[in-house]
Amino acid sequence: MKLKIEHSTRYNYSLPLRSSIQYLRLVPRNDASQHVIDWWLSLPGNPPPLTDGYGNVMHVLTLDRPHQQILVEARGIVELNPNHDGRVHDDLDPRPFLRPTSLTTADEPLIALTETYLSQSQDVTALGKLQQAILEKMPYIPGSTEVWHSAQEAFALGSGVCQDHTHVMLACARYKGLPARYVSGYIHVADEGHLASHAWAEIWLDGAWQTFDVTNQLLRPNQHIKLAVGMDYLEACPIRGMRSGGGEETLHVHVNVRANFDSQ
Amino acid sequence: MLHLAGGFTLKTIHNEMVTTEGQCRAHYRTYQRWLDDTPAELLNRKRREADLLFHRAGITFTVYGDDSGTERLIPFDTIPRIIPASEWSMLEAGCRQRVQALNAFLNDIYHDQRILTENIVPADQVLTNPQYQMAMRGVTLPHGIYSHISGIDLIRDGDGSYYVLEDNLRIPSGVSYMLENRRMMMRLFPELFATNHIAPVDHYPTLLLETLRSSTPIDAPCVVVLTPGRYNSAYFEHAFLAQQMGVELVEGQDLYVRNGRVYMRTTSGDQIVDVIYRRVDEAFIDPLALDPDSLLGVPGLMSVYREGGVVLANALGTGVADDKSIYPYVPDMIRFYLDETPILNNVPTWQCRDPLQLSHVLANLEDMVVKETNGSGGYGMLVGPMASKEQLDTFRAKLTAQPSAYIAQPTLALSACPTFVESGVAPRHIDLRPYVLCSPNGIRLVPGGLTRVALTEGSLVVNSSQGGGTKDTWVLEDDTLPQQEGP
Repeated sequence: MKLKIEHSTRYNYSLPLRSSIQYLRLVPRNDASQHVIDWWLSLPGNPPPLTDGYGNVMHVLTLDRPHQQILVEARGIVELNPNHDGRVHDDLDPRPFLRPTSLTTADEPLIALTETYLSQSQDVTALGKLQQAILEKMPYIPGSTEVWHSAQEAFALGSGVCQDHTHVMLACARYKGLPARYVSGYIHVADEGHLASHAWAEIWLDGAWQTFDVTNQLLRPNQHIKLAVGMDYLEACPIRGMRSGGGEETLHVHVNVRANFDSQ
Repeated sequence: MLHLAGGFTLKTIHNEMVTTEGQCRAHYRTYQRWLDDTPAELLNRKRREADLLFHRAGITFTVYGDDSGTERLIPFDTIPRIIPASEWSMLEAGCRQRVQALNAFLNDIYHDQRILTENIVPADQVLTNPQYQMAMRGVTLPHGIYSHISGIDLIRDGDGSYYVLEDNLRIPSGVSYMLENRRMMMRLFPELFATNHIAPVDHYPTLLLETLRSSTPIDAPCVVVLTPGRYNSAYFEHAFLAQQMGVELVEGQDLYVRNGRVYMRTTSGDQIVDVIYRRVDEAFIDPLALDPDSLLGVPGLMSVYREGGVVLANALGTGVADDKSIYPYVPDMIRFYLDETPILNNVPTWQCRDPLQLSHVLANLEDMVVKETNGSGGYGMLVGPMASKEQLDTFRAKLTAQPSAYIAQPTLALSACPTFVESGVAPRHIDLRPYVLCSPNGIRLVPGGLTRVALTEGSLVVNSSQGGGTKDTWVLEDDTLPQQEGP
């Protein structure tokens, strides 16, 4: 199946910015589950593609003239492999993904949750039950958390978005000695109101990365398009930036993933 | 006599100046004669003068976690630590060898991982180490140098043999004390430098600058010293070294990234920076790549670094090689990468992550020194023979709860050097930190290094953050030359 992605991010500032810098991870790569047919990035300036330590494609946007708007657009067509078994192989050693980060450290409530579901076994079934419990304890409520919230904080709040679900899943898996990583990307859902930007977890089981999409309760990729992997949100998120000056920031994000489109 | 595992005993302490028979050692003879001939009142006056001069120069040290004060003077002791030339050439060769192997190890674990594949160092211990820096994967550094500036901490056990206590490959500090201590001694006691053949150390800033300049293939590179700022405990040293090298001292906010390069804002326009002598902790160098709350770094620096647009000295990710759980493998690294026999001894180390070794440690805790694998500065360690029952119990609980966070070593005697104390002159425990500079032109050291002294009687902790002081360190230029009589 081919999916067409349109992702635009527009920052508006109430005052002119003196300078800004952004790390962008907005380029999907080919792998067994996805084939990138076409991809365009439209950015102010012309930064070259780089890679980070995980092999993600990265662009660094540096603007140092006064500006009041930044527009970042990514769009393209990606074909998903319908025969893919959902088990991901790449050249990243799983062991560094055993280390908790400040966003994915298990505290007592998370340890208790982990022990409830993973003390007997840590196979797909047990992890599937864990991700079911996570969504029950923290239902998907857009806007209920902020990007800097850790797994502990979101879990204590009792709700969250895909980023929080993923962090909790990572914290539990790593606590039990399972390598686990954060994946950011897109998902195609029939419901147009659902945000098509997405995050999910991959856990190293039996020699491959197994998908765990807590928010959608999926155990294998299903219309997921992968952009980047990392230890947590901070390392895999599509855009991470800083600025000086600019006053108030207004952010407009538009993400659209369509299956039926005119591919002229 | 207290017997400790590994043949170490607490009973004998090597005195740097005097043999067990009470004879002055040959390399101290000239100094000893001078000390005997110098009136106590004059020595006291010189010590007061030294205190005053250090205060006036503003050479102070910030102690973390001390409510009472922020800055205090590191006590300076006017009795030098003297090392004969023959001993120094062994130490120098040993430090060179060690730093060469440690750099080869770092280059290996971020590239081919041969030493892990061959199971000489356990891959799990490297790859799950908090200091293993994913951002260094796939980065090829000029000449494969990761630790440009290393501090190798050396001690001597009861029989006088040297041991490496730890390697410091992140941001080793203290070299300004080495330089200032020498200046102070020359000012207070110029006559000693006429009668003893003492190897100079004052070319260290020149060597450091050469090391930094040659770390990049760029001709006439722009070098800066990056400091966290005046509230850092070593700010004096950052300012001092920048001034001695004649380069800019900058904070994160003085630098910015644009189109793949790092720029420094100056009054005469912006200038590209090629080499950063990094005195800011790794976690804080780029808020877009690492700790997002850091105000000390430069947003975007990581992306420039990964592309080779700037050299950081030291590199990132070096902490995995000086981690105390990796330390036991350094002799194996020397054999593996250099095919040489290690010149310097390692202290026997028990890895508490191993259940068998842990039970041995728990059974002998009162004889052991226990350290956090990822700790430094003498914080969070247990010195068994000096510890109270409560302290021992606390550590027993810590070790049981999180064994992999600790290593244990026998309590080494640590050599002692005569030191001025309240009651006169008495032996106090010392260590030695030579500074090792690694460049494509070779691995170089200035003779000696920083001698730290534990001023509390019997104390084995020499860290300045734990109340330690310092001494001038003399390396004699030639053991065969008679040190001359005074006029």
